[in-house]
Amino acid sequence: MRALVIDDSRAMRRIVSGILIGLGYEVRDAGHGREGLDVLDEGWKPHLLCVDWNMPVMDGLQFVSAVRSNPAWRSVTIMMVTSESEHTQIVRALAAGAHEYVIKPFTADAIRDKLALLGLLPEEVPAGVPVPLRSSEQEVAL
Amino acid sequence: MSLTATSFDWVRDLVRKESAIVLQPGKEYLVEARLLPMARQMGLTDVTKLVETVRVRPDADNTRRIVEALTTNETSWFRDGDPFTALTSTVLPSLLSARGANERLQIWSAASSSGQEPYTIAMLLDDALPNATSRVSITATDLSREMVQRTRAGRFSQLEVNRGLPAPMLVRHFTRAGNEWEVSANLRRMVNASECNLAAPLPRMGPFDVVYLRNVLIYFDLPTKQSILRRVRDLMRPDGWLFLGAAETTLGVDDSWERVVIGRSSAYRPLKGA
Amino acid sequence: MTTMDTGERRRSSDVRPVITDLIDGATVLSIAEEAWIALVGEDEILVPIPGEPPVDIVSSWVDIVGPWTGSVVLTTGRGTAEELSRALLREAAPEVLEHEDVEDAFGEIANVVGGNVKAALPGPSGLSLPQVGNAPVVRNPVDVCRVDVVWRGEPVSISVQGALPPLPVPSPTRENEVPL
Repeated sequence: MRALVIDDSRAMRRIVSGILIGLGYEVRDAGHGREGLDVLDEGWKPHLLCVDWNMPVMDGLQFVSAVRSNPAWRSVTIMMVTSESEHTQIVRALAAGAHEYVIKPFTADAIRDKLALLGLLPEEVPAGVPVPLRSSEQEVAL
Repeated sequence: MSLTATSFDWVRDLVRKESAIVLQPGKEYLVEARLLPMARQMGLTDVTKLVETVRVRPDADNTRRIVEALTTNETSWFRDGDPFTALTSTVLPSLLSARGANERLQIWSAASSSGQEPYTIAMLLDDALPNATSRVSITATDLSREMVQRTRAGRFSQLEVNRGLPAPMLVRHFTRAGNEWEVSANLRRMVNASECNLAAPLPRMGPFDVVYLRNVLIYFDLPTKQSILRRVRDLMRPDGWLFLGAAETTLGVDDSWERVVIGRSSAYRPLKGA
Repeated sequence: MTTMDTGERRRSSDVRPVITDLIDGATVLSIAEEAWIALVGEDEILVPIPGEPPVDIVSSWVDIVGPWTGSVVLTTGRGTAEELSRALLREAAPEVLEHEDVEDAFGEIANVVGGNVKAALPGPSGLSLPQVGNAPVVRNPVDVCRVDVVWRGEPVSISVQGALPPLPVPSPTRENEVPL
C-alpha cells in the first residue's frame, strides 16, 4: 500500500508518515496541495491521500477538488487530517470528495481505526486476537 | 505512599493477561494517575492499598475496572466492526420478517461503557429503518454509574469521536457542543441507560431480540460465566441473537446455545428445547 | 489564501462578543489537555497552576477570523518549546533540533489547539497558518481567556485573545462605520 501525506508542518508529516509506515505503508510526502499534485503528476499512484486543510499555496480543500476532477485519480481514497473541526467544515470536505476525516489531535489508533473502516489496513489483524493498541511508534506510551 | 514495585508488577501482569497490553517499566506514575480515582471512590487513600485489596480478595468487577482504567482504547466506535455488519446484513432483515410491523425491536448493549456501542447500534438502525425511533428500543447497561451518566449525556470528546466513527455518521448524527460532540436527540431517545451488575440477579428487562455482551465474560470464572449466560438467555426471545467478544464463545461454557456464523463474526442463538 | 470577512470593519451598532462570552477556561484547558495527550504523549499531564514565567519566552499562535476575531497564543520558555518539539517528534526528532524544527512543531501545536478552539466558537471562521515569535499584543484586556499550566515543571500559557480594541460606547443616532 502507498500513501501520500500532505501537510505544511514537517513535524506533522513525520508523525503521520511514521504511523503509516508502522502499519506497512510506503509513504511519500508533500508540503502543500500543489506539491501533492506534482507527486501525483509524476505517475506515482498512492492508495491513500492524507490531507491537511490549512496550507500555503494550495489548501487541502482545493487539492481535494483538483484530485476529484481528474478521472485518472478516481480510485484514490482521501482522508483529511486536520485541526479544522467545525461541523460545517467536515461536511464541506466530504462534499468535495474526501472519504474520511481525522481531527487533530489524533492518536495512532485513530488513524488505524479509520483505515480499518476504509478497508485500507495492509495487515488485517486477525479477529479474536486482542489488538495491539498502539502502533510501534507509541508502544512505550501504554 | 507511592506505588510499590510488587503492586506495579501485579497490575502489569493483570493488564497483560486481560488485554494483551504491555505496560512498560517506568509507567508507575501512569498507573497511579489512572487508578487513583478508583481507589478514592472505594475509600482508599492510595493505589497500593487498592491493589492490595483486590489481590487479597479477587473480584471480577474491580478487576475489570482496573483493566478498563488502564486501557482507554477499549471504546472505539464499530469496535471489531463485524458484529455490527452482521446486525444490518442478517439479523435485522430476519427480525423484521419475523416480527409484526408495530412490534418494537429490543436490543441490549450489556457493559455499554461510555456509550459507543449502544449509539453505534442506534446510528446503524436509524440509517437502516425509516422509523427507527419508534421501532427500536436500545437498553444500555453498565456497572459504573459514571459510565451510565456519560451514556445518557451522549457527549464525546474529540479524541473519542476520532476512534473509528465514520465521518459521514459523525456529521449526520452529532453536533458540536463546546469542544465535545453531542449525539442527536433522536438517537438519545432510542437509548435507555441504567446501572446493572451482570454478576448479580438481573432486573426485569426485555425480552430482547439482540444482545451485545462483548468482552465481559473474559473477566469472570467459569461458574459466573455460566450463570451470566443463563440469566441473559432468560431475558432473550427464543429466536434472539447474542453477540460476544471476538475472543469469547459459549462453547465449553454453556451448551444451550447454537453458534451461527455470519460473515466474519459469530452470533449465538438459544437452542430450542435446551 | 481564500478571502474572508476580516471582521475589521464593523458598525458601531454591532454587538461584538468578547471571548469570555463564548468559551471558558475549562474548555480551553480540556482542548489543550487533549492536544498534549495525543501529540506529546499519553501521560503528559498539564497541571493548571501558574508557574514562574521564564525570562526568554517564545510564542506560537494562529488567528481566528469570524464572528469572533483574535488569536490563540501558546507562550512558554524557549527551552520548553524545544522540549515540546522533541516530544512531538519522538524518535523522528533529529539529533540537533534546528530553529525551523522548533518553529514548525511548536507552531503545529498552536494550530491544533487553535483549530479546536475555533470549532468551539460560533462559526464559520477562518484559521490562519501558525506563526512563531513575539505574541500579538492584547488589544482589549476584557477580550481574553487565558489558562496557565505547568508541563514537566515548566510554565506554559494558552491565551485566547481578541484582535480588536474595545468598541467605543455605541451612539444610537449614528450609523457611521468606526475605523478600527
